[in-house]
Amino acid sequence: MNRYDQLIVDLRGDYRPQREWGVGRGVLMVVGHFLVGVAGGTWVMASIYGVTAGLAVAYVLAALGALAHLAYLGRPERALGMMRRFRTSWIARGFIGLTLFLIGGGIYLAALLLAPDDVAGPVTRTGQVIAAVGTVVIIGYMGFCYTASKAIPFWHSPLHPALYIAFAFRGGVAALLVISAVTGVASGAGLLEMWIGVTTVVALFFALEIQGAWSGGNVAARWSVRDILAGRLALLFYGGTLALGLIVPLALLLVPGAHSPAAMALVGLTSAAGDFFMKLATVRAGVYLPLVMPARRQRA
Amino acid sequence: MRLGMVIDLKRCMACYGCQMSCKAEHGTPPGVFFARVLKREEGHYPTPRMLFLPVLCNHCSDAPCVSACPTGASHYAEHGIVDIDKDMCVGCRACMMACPYNNRYFLDERRYYFGEAGPTPYEEACSDRHPEGVVMKCNFCRHRLAEGKDPACVENCAAKARTFGDLDDPESIVSRLIKERGGFTLHPEAGTGPNVYYLGP
Ligand code: SF4
Ligand code: SF4
Repeated sequence: MNRYDQLIVDLRGDYRPQREWGVGRGVLMVVGHFLVGVAGGTWVMASIYGVTAGLAVAYVLAALGALAHLAYLGRPERALGMMRRFRTSWIARGFIGLTLFLIGGGIYLAALLLAPDDVAGPVTRTGQVIAAVGTVVIIGYMGFCYTASKAIPFWHSPLHPALYIAFAFRGGVAALLVISAVTGVASGAGLLEMWIGVTTVVALFFALEIQGAWSGGNVAARWSVRDILAGRLALLFYGGTLALGLIVPLALLLVPGAHSPAAMALVGLTSAAGDFFMKLATVRAGVYLPLVMPARRQRA
Repeated sequence: MRLGMVIDLKRCMACYGCQMSCKAEHGTPPGVFFARVLKREEGHYPTPRMLFLPVLCNHCSDAPCVSACPTGASHYAEHGIVDIDKDMCVGCRACMMACPYNNRYFLDERRYYFGEAGPTPYEEACSDRHPEGVVMKCNFCRHRLAEGKDPACVENCAAKARTFGDLDDPESIVSRLIKERGGFTLHPEAGTGPNVYYLGP
């Protein structure tokens, strides 16, 4: 069905899924959120483990994420205007955070590359601090963009920001698994344990969010849960998130003996792919509050 | 002054006059309805009944679409009217996710009512008002208000179900109707402070 016919069908129905984010060109927005989230997590993990290649990968991912965001906008040429409403808009805050990250990260990486012996120099430090501020914002803002969406009860949950922060760290660990497999730097064993820990947190937050949406009494939120678990998004969820993002990496980890770099890289890649499908499914699961017909007189 | 509207559901006969007059006034593209009438059948034979609900932007006093907008394109204009500056909008659609009443539309590409035949002269004349890549919605017909007229949907409601006026003035007709007949708003639990009230059927 084309977009226009779909809109007319949606307008006639009580149940109206949002079709702007995560559908059609809107997939670019989810790609952007996914890449930027992974970039933030990777920057943190690479800083902890001291993996310069990880910092560079994080930077490239963030730049690609920014491009995906721009490509999604109806009027990308006006994007700079998105900084104006930072007092109330999480998108504005995210835009500023991403800009800071790209500026600070760029300065820091350039300084590391051009003056590797002067890591404590003022330019390097300035870049590092700006990038750190940007990292905190890009890891934190995304979930709030969804929580601020009052029209979509499934997203309008205080758990959503926590879930997105946990996703960022899971993405960061996944990226570092791939990088350490390719470069041989960093402790694979520590990373795998961390992956298990972060994955447990993500699963817990997600389960709590689903439970809250199902039992919270809001019909639109229940529609969203039904869509994910047994409806139009079940394939994305069971195939992409559960099978690819959880069962495959767990099966790889359960193979006895030392894990080969290839297996570690596969754990990272499947885990990241699972996160992408999870984000896509939860974004597509957004269902608008239905407009309730007043059957009889009600008082305000 | 806080402009608002009262819609009397007892008078509304779901004739779509508001929807059509709004389309004519604003020349909105296919699929865009600043004002629309929702209909639903309730009950079973032999006592079914049809319920109508005309909806439009509620010009909320605490509009989540305005706070979600990163650019300031969605803003409060004079007398509490919520409007969009089409030249500032980036088409991020955060406002559409924030509006609990589904009253915003994104125009992804230019569409005409007669497809292959191309735009009618009227559509051509109106197309500048609705550029692609941005979000649009009802603005209480600000251009008409500036000329001292009521919004088109109010003026053209054959059943006189719509009343427009100042909600801050306790003596205005809208305020009195709300008080005397127990006016209510949609989704009051969302805390948006809608300025469109309904009188029960
Ligand atoms: S009805 Fe929706 S678009 Fe209109 S002011 Fe309220 S939140 Fe904004
Ligand atoms: S689509 Fe336009 S009006 Fe809506 S939030 Fe984005 S910039 Fe603001």
